[in-house]
Amino acid sequence: MSGVLAVAAVIAIGAVFLLRWLSAIAAGAGSRWLNLAIPLIFGATLLLLWELLTRGLGVPAVLLPPPSQIVARIVASSGLLWADFVQTFMKAVLIGYALGCGLGFMTALAVDRYPFLKRGLLPLGNFASALPIIGVAPIMVMWFGFDWPSKAAVVVLMTFFPMLVNTVAGLAAAGPMERDLMRTYAGGYWQTLWRLRLPAAMPFVFNALKINSTLALIGAIVAEFFGTPIVGMGFRISAEIGRLNTDMVWAEIAVAAVAGSASYALLALAERRVTFWHPSQRI
Amino acid sequence: MKAIVSGGIALAALFSATAGAQAADSLTLQLKWVTQGQFAGYYVAHDKGFYDEAGLDVDILPGGPDVAPTQVIAGGGADVIVEWMPAALAARERGVPLVNIAQPFKASGMELTCRKDTDIASPADFKGKTLGVWFSGNEYPFLSWMSKLGLSTEGGAEGVTVIRQGFNVDPLIQKQADCISTMSYNEYWQVLDAGIPADELTVFKYQDQGVATLEDGLYATEETLADPEMVDALARFVKATMRGWAYAAENPDEAAQIVLDNDMTGAQTEAHQKRMVGEVIKLVGDSDGTLDVAAADNTVAVLLGGGSDPVITKAPEGAWTSAVTDKMKTMP
Repeated sequence: MSGVLAVAAVIAIGAVFLLRWLSAIAAGAGSRWLNLAIPLIFGATLLLLWELLTRGLGVPAVLLPPPSQIVARIVASSGLLWADFVQTFMKAVLIGYALGCGLGFMTALAVDRYPFLKRGLLPLGNFASALPIIGVAPIMVMWFGFDWPSKAAVVVLMTFFPMLVNTVAGLAAAGPMERDLMRTYAGGYWQTLWRLRLPAAMPFVFNALKINSTLALIGAIVAEFFGTPIVGMGFRISAEIGRLNTDMVWAEIAVAAVAGSASYALLALAERRVTFWHPSQRI
Repeated sequence: MKAIVSGGIALAALFSATAGAQAADSLTLQLKWVTQGQFAGYYVAHDKGFYDEAGLDVDILPGGPDVAPTQVIAGGGADVIVEWMPAALAARERGVPLVNIAQPFKASGMELTCRKDTDIASPADFKGKTLGVWFSGNEYPFLSWMSKLGLSTEGGAEGVTVIRQGFNVDPLIQKQADCISTMSYNEYWQVLDAGIPADELTVFKYQDQGVATLEDGLYATEETLADPEMVDALARFVKATMRGWAYAAENPDEAAQIVLDNDMTGAQTEAHQKRMVGEVIKLVGDSDGTLDVAAADNTVAVLLGGGSDPVITKAPEGAWTSAVTDKMKTMP
């Protein structure tokens, strides 16, 4: 046991020194390759240490399986993981996300257009966001059935408010000088909205989209704990933990992490294209 | 000063001596589900002082939807757990060295309750229907049964569609499932309470279908059983527990009240608990806690006959022991 700990300590210290050296170089003459290498080396070291400590210290696999066992499980159950991914992500998350963000966006436009809605609807949106998902999910299952529509409904509830609030803030972001300019050009409400205020609101909108991508995935997975057909990421996690197949649980976690990171990265890429003019994108 | 110090030391020694003489063995028991009549024997033994009389300080931990007793004991959170044999054997195969030390429940209370208007008259009619199952370790008897019937659980017209039901009877009431899993002492009565009369229900008892598996049993790890003092403590524990069950059988209403007093959530009702205790007593029967090895072998056979998706892949070895119940019988 002490041997394992000693080797782990050596690897950890070695990695720290390597990363510090690389970071110093990157700070000076940063290259894209280097910026990619540093987090990769960091991650690889963590995985190596995990493998070493779980195998070397004899940690029971039901408590924490080693990464190699998890990878083996991912490969062996790839069909099952794909079916779960389709059920949860492609159906519940994507559809719920599109509906929730769309609804939030439309409501924000309405709130902006009609001030009386701002006073009435915004507090209601506040209330909707405070509803605990653990309480809402079983009710959605009762209303919309066991399959993915109830999960999409939960996602809609979770993503509605962040989108609403951020879009309302974004629509107020266009400066008074620019709005005056549109007025001098005799721009109507819709022209001003389309050409000035919506583009100016995009940084806020993308903020909400990025937040919502995380919330949507969490919402769909947790909603599946409360009644589901026997396929889906949340179902698989809760069923397999009951069977003590913790390597399958970690495999699902890995799939969820990859899906969440990939969607966030896609959104960040889209954000860079759309809001190229914003100071945060010009650094 | 010297007198005070020596007096203090003498006093401390006196206290430690008496404390040592009265030191009760502490045991942590993890229940399989929330505090309810299903565990009346343990709560009765605790509140009526049977555990104290046996020199035990028992801490009863209620379970719940997110508590898997096998996980709790694997993580060192309990000394002895109440668990069903399929889940315990599956855990044993996955590296948690659980051993059955006693079997309070002789009979199985698991059933599949269907609405009569789904035209399911016998298990052969399950084809193409939607059945609700709990999962979280409770799906093993169901999967074995479906395998025995030759029905795939993937859905379709030739198989059955399985949904994971929550711990309530809504799928049956909302007609989202044709049949749901119920326990004879709990969910079945919830269905009746919800307004569906008994003559509108068709109930299939796992016991009658020959696919019943042993339910509430007491399990400990091999590590615990390697310590003779723990075996002695567990023997006293099982003896006091069966005393508790015997008391509950003679005084079911008082047992129900004791369970209610221990219910921290306030969610249980007196009527439901009295009914539950009455039904559970039938499952305990005349058991003295000893495991019937023939019944255990039968459970293993049911699980191994799982066909394409067996619950366990090979017959377990050393999964039960009579060491504790044998020791218990030598006690006065």
